[in-house]
Amino acid sequence: MTYKVVQARLGEILRLLEDKAFQKALQDSVGNAEGKHERVAASYPYLKELAKKVKEAEEKVLADLDHYIDMTIRSVEKNKGVPHLARDAEEARRIVLDIAGECRGPIVMSKSMVAEEVGLREFLEGEGFEVWETDLGQLLIQLERGRPMHTTAPAIHMTVERARGLVRERLGLEIPEGAGPEDIVAAVRGFLREKFVAACLGISGANAVAADTGAIVLVENEGNIRLTTGLPPVHVAITGVDKILPTLQDAVAEALVQAAWAGLYPPTYLNIIAGPSNTADIQHKRVYGAHGPKEFHLILLDNGRREAAKFEPLGEQLRCIRCGRCQWECPVWQQTANKWGGPVYGGPMGMGWTAITYSMREAAELSLLCLGCGRCDVVCPVEIPLSRIIRWLKTRAHTS
Amino acid sequence: MVLDIGTVLALLRDNIRKTGLPVPVGKEVLWEWSKGLDLPREGEVLLYTGALYQLLPYISVFARQLARMEKSGAGRLAFKAFGKLGGRLGGLAGLVLKPSKVDIEYSHSILRSVVELLKAAGVSVAYDPGVDGYSGVLLYDMGLDDDFRAHAEGEARRLVESGARVIVTVDPHTTHTLRSVYPKLFPWFELEVRSYLEILAENVDKLGWKSGDAGAVTIHDPCFYARSEGIIGEPRTLLERAGYRVVNPRRWGRMTYCCGGPVESISPGLAGRIAEKRIEELHSTGAPVVAVMCPICLSNLRGHSRGKLRVEDISILLRERLEA
Repeated sequence: MTYKVVQARLGEILRLLEDKAFQKALQDSVGNAEGKHERVAASYPYLKELAKKVKEAEEKVLADLDHYIDMTIRSVEKNKGVPHLARDAEEARRIVLDIAGECRGPIVMSKSMVAEEVGLREFLEGEGFEVWETDLGQLLIQLERGRPMHTTAPAIHMTVERARGLVRERLGLEIPEGAGPEDIVAAVRGFLREKFVAACLGISGANAVAADTGAIVLVENEGNIRLTTGLPPVHVAITGVDKILPTLQDAVAEALVQAAWAGLYPPTYLNIIAGPSNTADIQHKRVYGAHGPKEFHLILLDNGRREAAKFEPLGEQLRCIRCGRCQWECPVWQQTANKWGGPVYGGPMGMGWTAITYSMREAAELSLLCLGCGRCDVVCPVEIPLSRIIRWLKTRAHTS
Repeated sequence: MVLDIGTVLALLRDNIRKTGLPVPVGKEVLWEWSKGLDLPREGEVLLYTGALYQLLPYISVFARQLARMEKSGAGRLAFKAFGKLGGRLGGLAGLVLKPSKVDIEYSHSILRSVVELLKAAGVSVAYDPGVDGYSGVLLYDMGLDDDFRAHAEGEARRLVESGARVIVTVDPHTTHTLRSVYPKLFPWFELEVRSYLEILAENVDKLGWKSGDAGAVTIHDPCFYARSEGIIGEPRTLLERAGYRVVNPRRWGRMTYCCGGPVESISPGLAGRIAEKRIEELHSTGAPVVAVMCPICLSNLRGHSRGKLRVEDISILLRERLEA
């Protein structure tokens, strides 16, 4: 055995350990984020109970995934939305391209790891569209031409200086030397506001999808999701089939738990979207396309998920709510961020996700860097046996 | 420079296949510590050391060698050549694994302290060098399941055939492997497995201590005791009863922090960075002493303490406080 993947990645990791700017930014972020979920859960004791309910709801869906996918599709149609089931990344990209069609303005995107998984932004840019990420961290990643270093905080590896430099150089915005985060945020706000208004298409992810109602739930603090999903005439939400929950009540619970374990509670905004905007204010006749989008599409991405659901313990990864808590608490991730990971997903949760959506070989080899310390298991709100999944992956690293 | 992981793992597998131990040392390394103790060979309560403490000096030398290779510009090439030079078994390690006498004696003193403490608590244990061995935990941790199963089955059979009812372990990795992994693989392995710290804590009233304040001690909970086996209160009870003032670090108990050791054979650099962070945290408690209870933690934290702290095995700290 040659273990080429992990050896190559270790080379990068050893260099990163000596990268002072990367380490400073990462350590500062870790210092602020580690253990935050415990403080939140201590203040709002119902959250742990809610997390248990989310786990049970997820288990129900995964035991009968195809049934819940069908139910979701029917519910979205009932809301006058357009559901799509994409087998893989290529099909997802093609669906978005068809929807974008002759779109003549910018495309705005709120941060979505599934969009990242299918390489959506780069694909649309390649097709000649003007595309903008609107989550500040994700915009910085776009400007850096890099990849997210954490699930909910993509630019944690960047210092203020780096962020300021990128915004000045790549967007040409006037930000004085030595300006802090407030000035960067204000400059980006001004820049993106025009894009939101002119956008012909808004692309979001979804924290959860309710099978019973076809509603999607999105949690955020920047307000960019509200604008991305509310201002353009067409809204496309893309998410994995794993995000389906039986009811809207479960979906809202999942979003609340996600926010709490991500470390921001209460979430500043909680969005529920069930179809295109509409009004029945004139003679109670329902008209679609009021102030919000006239079209709503939901792309449910498979990309290995339905197959993975059959495997124990890998299938349990599908219950992941992507709060990123396991990353904040992992001793290895705290030194490497998502550099310990596949092209999209990193850290403890990233091993399973890389295996499901990208490459079993890559995930298996990268898993050899796991300490097996089990901190991730303890902090996961939905009790995914992360270290067991990673050890299972390790057993696959030794075969060609 | 990145180490050649294939060579490291091949060495591990070869060593275990041929000697039953993860590093190339003579079998006598396993039981030399027990010379002169006159422990009965058979008994209801049998000590199984799991070999990690005895191998500690050898593993430390090996780890230092790996770290030098990783740091050096031509590490990977050198490592490969090194591996070939000595052949698969014994080559790499045989050339370099020469720990100091002091280190070997220290590792013996840990196991002798364990026996002394158990004796002081009124617990008599048997020890049979022919039954003692290595649990195979490193194979398990690396996902080398076929090798692990083949090795572990022999260990489990010897233990069952020893006639003992209770197996006493001395480190968290062996405790977890015997208690939580073996029974899943071998349903016939039904022996009760107890860490000596659990036994001592149960019998704490029988232990007599020196009087007076023994000073402040912080505890580095090992992952497998704290998170997998629920052994968190026991070391605290024992240290406090022995007269130490226990100061918990920021991350302790179920949220304890790894020493980095488990990844040392693949990347000493990454393991070392994690150990440095942990040392900083333990140092910030203000306690001059860190109690550890795992040979991997002991090696990795000692290697990165830079004289800031006394990193000491809990058995030594407790034995020092036993009344004469």
